[in-house]
Amino acid sequence: MEMILKKDRLGEWAAKLRGSAEVFAPVFADDSWNFCKVEPGAELTFDHGNTVRPAKGFVFPQREVLYRFRQESGEAPQLTPTLPADGPAVVFGVRPCDGRAMVRNDKVFTCGFADPYYQARRDRVVFVGLACNAPPSPNCFCLSVGGSPHAGDGLDVLMTELDGRYHVKALTAKGKEIAGIAEALFDKAGAADSSEVEKVHAAARSHPQRSIAAMEKVAEGLKRNFDSPQWDTLAQACIGCGACTYLCPSCHCFDINDEVSSHSPLAGERVRTWDNCQFPEFTMHTSGHNPRNTTGARLRQRICHKLLYFVENHNIQQCTGCGRCISHCPVGIDIVRVANVMEEAAGQ
Amino acid sequence: MVAIEDIRARAKELLESGKVRSVLGYRRGTASVLAEPAFVTAPEDTAALVLDATCVENLALYLVNEKKRQKTQRSQDTRPLAVVAKGCDGRAITVLLQENYIKRDEVVILGVSCENGGMIDTHKLSRALRGKAATGAAFDGNGGIKVAFTAGETTVPAAEVLAARCLECTKAYPLVSDYFFGDKIDERSYSPRFTAVSAIAEKSPEERSAFWAGHFERCIRCYACRAVCPMCYCDECVVDSTSFIVNPTTSADEKACRIRWIQRSASPSENAMYHMVRAIHLAGRCTDCGECERVCPVNIPLRLLNTMLEREALEMFEYAPGLDPEQPSLISSFRDGDPNDFIR
Repeated sequence: MEMILKKDRLGEWAAKLRGSAEVFAPVFADDSWNFCKVEPGAELTFDHGNTVRPAKGFVFPQREVLYRFRQESGEAPQLTPTLPADGPAVVFGVRPCDGRAMVRNDKVFTCGFADPYYQARRDRVVFVGLACNAPPSPNCFCLSVGGSPHAGDGLDVLMTELDGRYHVKALTAKGKEIAGIAEALFDKAGAADSSEVEKVHAAARSHPQRSIAAMEKVAEGLKRNFDSPQWDTLAQACIGCGACTYLCPSCHCFDINDEVSSHSPLAGERVRTWDNCQFPEFTMHTSGHNPRNTTGARLRQRICHKLLYFVENHNIQQCTGCGRCISHCPVGIDIVRVANVMEEAAGQ
Repeated sequence: MVAIEDIRARAKELLESGKVRSVLGYRRGTASVLAEPAFVTAPEDTAALVLDATCVENLALYLVNEKKRQKTQRSQDTRPLAVVAKGCDGRAITVLLQENYIKRDEVVILGVSCENGGMIDTHKLSRALRGKAATGAAFDGNGGIKVAFTAGETTVPAAEVLAARCLECTKAYPLVSDYFFGDKIDERSYSPRFTAVSAIAEKSPEERSAFWAGHFERCIRCYACRAVCPMCYCDECVVDSTSFIVNPTTSADEKACRIRWIQRSASPSENAMYHMVRAIHLAGRCTDCGECERVCPVNIPLRLLNTMLEREALEMFEYAPGLDPEQPSLISSFRDGDPNDFIR
C-alpha cells in the first residue's frame, strides 16, 4: 500500500494515532537525538542522522520484570506473573538499520520459542521507518552488511521524504492499520511519485559509505584468526565499558536477578536486565576463574557474535551497520577496521 | 610551541635505547574526529604520534590498566611506561603517585602544554551541529575552531566547543614531568574556575534534585564513566554483583548472601546511588580531566558532581589533588586546623 502524505499533515497523523496509542519520535535534547514521547502540539521534525539509543528498547527494555514473588513465613511462595501491559505505541523516524535489527532480535527471541515478554511488546509496537536520504554519518556502513538506506525489513511502514511530502509505504498489517486510521489525510501515490522515490533511493545508495571490503570472507577470516594476537592489539585501548553493546540495536544479552524489596515477608521482583559481554564480570565463574579475562578476548566475542556466530546460526550478520558502537566508543574501537583487519589477515 | 617532531623524537629515543617498554600517546583514529590512544613499542611507529585539540583521552588510565594486567603475567617487563600527559592527565598521574598506586620510576612523563587553549568537547560539537557527526576539528589560529562535517564546514568560537574543564583550567601543563614540551600557561581568558558548578550550586535543593533526577533517569549504566576514570582503580566495585573475591573456601552461602548495595536495574534510584557513590569516592582525588563526562553516551554532566567535591575540598581543607607527589592525600591526612564543626 503506497500513499502520499503532505508534510504539513504529519502532525495530524500523529495526533490521530495518539487517540489510540503512545507516539514516539526522535527529539533533540541534551545534545543528542533520542526517541521521546510526542506530546500534543509538539512538532515532528525528522532532522536526525540516527538516535543515540536504538529502537530496541521498545521491545527489549533495559529492565523487564518477569514476575513478582511474596512469601509469608512458613507458607509457600506466591508468584504473580507480570506480562507487559502497556498499550500500543507507534515509533516514528526509525532508521532502516534499526528496523533490520528487529529482524535479528526476532530471531533470537521468537524463533522456536517465543519469549512472551518480548512478543507482547513486539506485538504492540509499530515501527514507522524513515529512509536515509542525506549522506550517511561518518560511521554508517549498512551497505556492507546487506542493508540499504531504504531497507524495509523489520519495519511496519517505510516513509521516504520527497519534495514537500512523504511517500508512505505500509509493509505489514500493523502498518496498514495505522495508515487506515487516518486514511483521509493521505493521497494516492501516482506513477510519478513512485519513480521519484526510486530516484531518491538510488541517490541514497550512491552516497559513499565506510565499508567492510570483502564481507563474504569476514566470517571465515574471523574463524581462522580466533587465536590471533591481533585481538589484543586491536583491543589495547578498550576500557571495558558497555557503551558499544548497550547502544547496539541488535545486542540482546541479558542477566536475571531477584530484587528483594522486603525480607519479612520475603517479597520482591525477578528482573531481567541488559547484560554486556564487554564487562569482565560477564563470564566470571563462581570459582573466580574468568575464561574471557582480557579485553582482546572480549572484543573477539563481540565481533565474532556479530559477524561469525550469528551467520553460522541464522545465515545473516547480526550487525546492521548503524555505526553506533564506533561513534560512541570512548577510545575509537572500530568494528569496520577490526573486520577488515581480520579478513585481510586470513588471506595472507 | 609544542612541536610534535620533538615528542616523536623523544619517544623514538626512549624506545630505541630500551629505557621504556612502551610509549602511550595519540594517533589519528578511524572511528571519530578524536585522536585515539596509541601504544607504541616499535621506534618507527612514533612517526604516527600526533598532538592537537582532539587528543582528549586521559592516558593515565592505561598506567592503571597496565598495572592490573601485569599482575596476571608470569614474566614481567619491569621497564617504565612513557606517557604523554596534559596538565589534567599529569595531575591524575600525580594522584596515583600520592596514593602509591604506581611508583615514580614506573612512569616516564612526557608532559605537554595545552597552550593552544585546550581540548574539544564532542557533546558541544554535537550541540553545534545538531547531532551531526564532525569529521574534523582544529584551532583556526584566530580564537575559533574550524569544524568539518559530512555536508560542509563551519567555524565556531573556541569557547563554544572547548571542554568546560579547559575553559576553567588554571594549570594547562603537568607540574611533574620528565620531559616537557611547549610553554607553561597559567592564565586562560575563558572562565574562572568552578564557573559551571557554581551555576548549579546556587540553585535551590529542589531545583538541583530535579536537575539530577532528570539526568540520572537516562543513565544506561554502561559504566563508561567508571571504566575511563584513572582513579576508579578498585579491584572490586560496589555495583558489580559478581566481582567480589572468591576463593576455594568461599561457601555458596557466602556468595548468595553477598549484599547487593545497588541493583543492576537502570532505575532512577539505583542510578543516582551509583553516581553518588562514585562521586564520593573521588572526593579529593578527582583532577578534573573530564573523561567521565566526555564518554557518557547519554550526556550526563558528570563533571559537575566531581567539581563540586573538588570545590569543597579546596574551600574546607585548602586541598587540591595532584599537585605534589609527596603531599599526603586528603583522606589520609589530618591537621589540627581542619574544620570539624560538622562532627556532632
